[in-house]
Amino acid sequence: MKKAIVVLFALVIIAAGVGWGLSEPTRLSETEVSALKEGDPGRGETVFWAGGCASCHAAKGAKGDDLLNLGGGLRLETPFGVFVAPNISSSQADGIGSWSLVDFANAMTHGTSPDNRNYYPAFPYTSYARMTSQDLGDLYAFMNTLPAIGGKAAPHELGFPFNVRRGLGLWKRLFLDPEPVIAAPVSGVQSDTKLWERGRYLVEGPGHCGECHTKRDFAGGLVLAKWLGGAPAPTGDGSIPDITPVEGAFGSWSAADIAYYLESGFTPEYDSVGGEMVHVQENMARLPASDREAIAAYLKAIPAVASAPN
Amino acid sequence: MIKKIMATGLAAGLLVAVGTAQAAEDPIATRQAIMASVGAAAALAGSMMKSEIAYSPVAGKSAIATMNAASHSYGAFFPDGSNASNTKAAEAIWDKPDGFAAELAKFNAAAEKAMAAAGKKGPADLDAFKAAMGPVFGTCKSCHETYRKKN
Ligand code: HEC
Ligand code: HEC
Ligand code: HEC
Repeated sequence: MKKAIVVLFALVIIAAGVGWGLSEPTRLSETEVSALKEGDPGRGETVFWAGGCASCHAAKGAKGDDLLNLGGGLRLETPFGVFVAPNISSSQADGIGSWSLVDFANAMTHGTSPDNRNYYPAFPYTSYARMTSQDLGDLYAFMNTLPAIGGKAAPHELGFPFNVRRGLGLWKRLFLDPEPVIAAPVSGVQSDTKLWERGRYLVEGPGHCGECHTKRDFAGGLVLAKWLGGAPAPTGDGSIPDITPVEGAFGSWSAADIAYYLESGFTPEYDSVGGEMVHVQENMARLPASDREAIAAYLKAIPAVASAPN
Repeated sequence: MIKKIMATGLAAGLLVAVGTAQAAEDPIATRQAIMASVGAAAALAGSMMKSEIAYSPVAGKSAIATMNAASHSYGAFFPDGSNASNTKAAEAIWDKPDGFAAELAKFNAAAEKAMAAAGKKGPADLDAFKAAMGPVFGTCKSCHETYRKKN
């Protein structure tokens, strides 16, 4: 299966090379640019934890204040090769300290760098594309307050054709879509629409939950019809659970159970959270309780995805 | 209700003892029984911390004693070759034995400290219990992060 993914992804990239015009990196429109304004670092801190930036851009195993040192270097192993998270600290020379808010927003929502290169989706901009301009401005303001860390991270270790960034333009055309995944709460579930929409925003946008909990197709795009229905673990050891309301499975968790898990790391059976979810849970524990309730409300009122992941 | 949950906690403590007897034949079942007792003790503790059930020093001590017993015995049930089927123990236990030993040591140190704080009759009130159990709870995640896989 992994081999098939690699071969087909290669075909997509080669096709992209053929369709050079289609692979031109995209950017924010002028109206979107004019909606951006530098925000409030206090609010930006909440966005920072919701977005989980430290899980990839801080050093491996960082805890406490070290999570704010975004010097990069963490190695993300994937079927396509090893991605090394870059330095996104406020260092002018080695980080993103010299970037404008527009540069930042183009990276976050279009996966396009200031010098017009495409980013790899290992940086989960396909989810961050759903972030509001207000949140982007607040996050930018907060990140400017973080320490400047010197030193560039090592380059990615990718073979041909994955090392051709230009080819990602076509991939982005296929898979970068900022529209909501789930249009409305599933009917029949008692749910406060405002709360559900806040949950949708957090899960589908900054929280990027779908990037792990949804399986991918041959080209590495998320299979939206199986949204949050579970996936094989990227490292190949174990699997990432289905978090849709399937009866007899995750459906038996109440909204309060879900919110408590995100706060404490304990399942309803008092099993403790593990794997990559530990970072996510610790980030969620830093959000206001109302945000964890919103995520729970959303997860209780989305379509159940019954089939087992494979 | 309280009685029932206390009984679960006490039974969980007993599981640890039962587990040891069958250890030689089936280390996987043994370590799973131990962790199940840890989960049950955490449920008892967590339900009191959330005030879903009333706090009682006896129940508090039972939960702490289960953690303590488990933290002493758990590491003995990971012989080479017990990573095959029916286990959520991750390969990392055998690949990085020092790291796993360090997690066990943290669990054990926190549980022993809680046991000492519990005294003869158990922590006097809920705040004392939270202070004793909190650090034990803090050790679950970091071990599961690397050494326990899901499914
Ligand atoms: C799952 C891991 C992951 C998470 C989470 C993540 N990133 Fe990244 N990020 C990456 C990787 C990998 C790259 C490199 C992409 C490339 O080279 O194409 C990257 C690149 C970037 C860049 C471009 C840096 C440069 O020098 O060009 C910025 C800016 C960035 N990330 C910001 C963020 C912010 C802000 C967050 C949180 C909201 C975040 N990232 C969360 C993995 C991650
Ligand atoms: C980096 C990958 C990753 C991301 C991102 C992620 N998860 Fe998870 N999630 C996991 C893994 C792995 C597990 C299994 C945890 C374990 O082994 O105990 C999990 C477990 C869970 C569980 C428990 C399910 C169960 O049956 O035990 C819930 C609930 C959950 N995640 C919700 C979320 C939410 C909400 C988000 C977004 C805010 C999210 N996850 C983002 C990887 C991830
Ligand atoms: C030193 C490592 C370590 C620590 C500390 C630890 N666990 Fe575990 N836990 C594991 C491993 C490994 C497994 C999987 C064992 C297997 O399937 O063979 C597991 C499994 C579990 C299970 C599932 C048991 C079953 O039914 O099979 C529960 C529940 C659990 N742990 C709860 C906890 C709680 C609560 C804590 C903290 C009080 C904790 N664990 C601390 C390593 C640890």
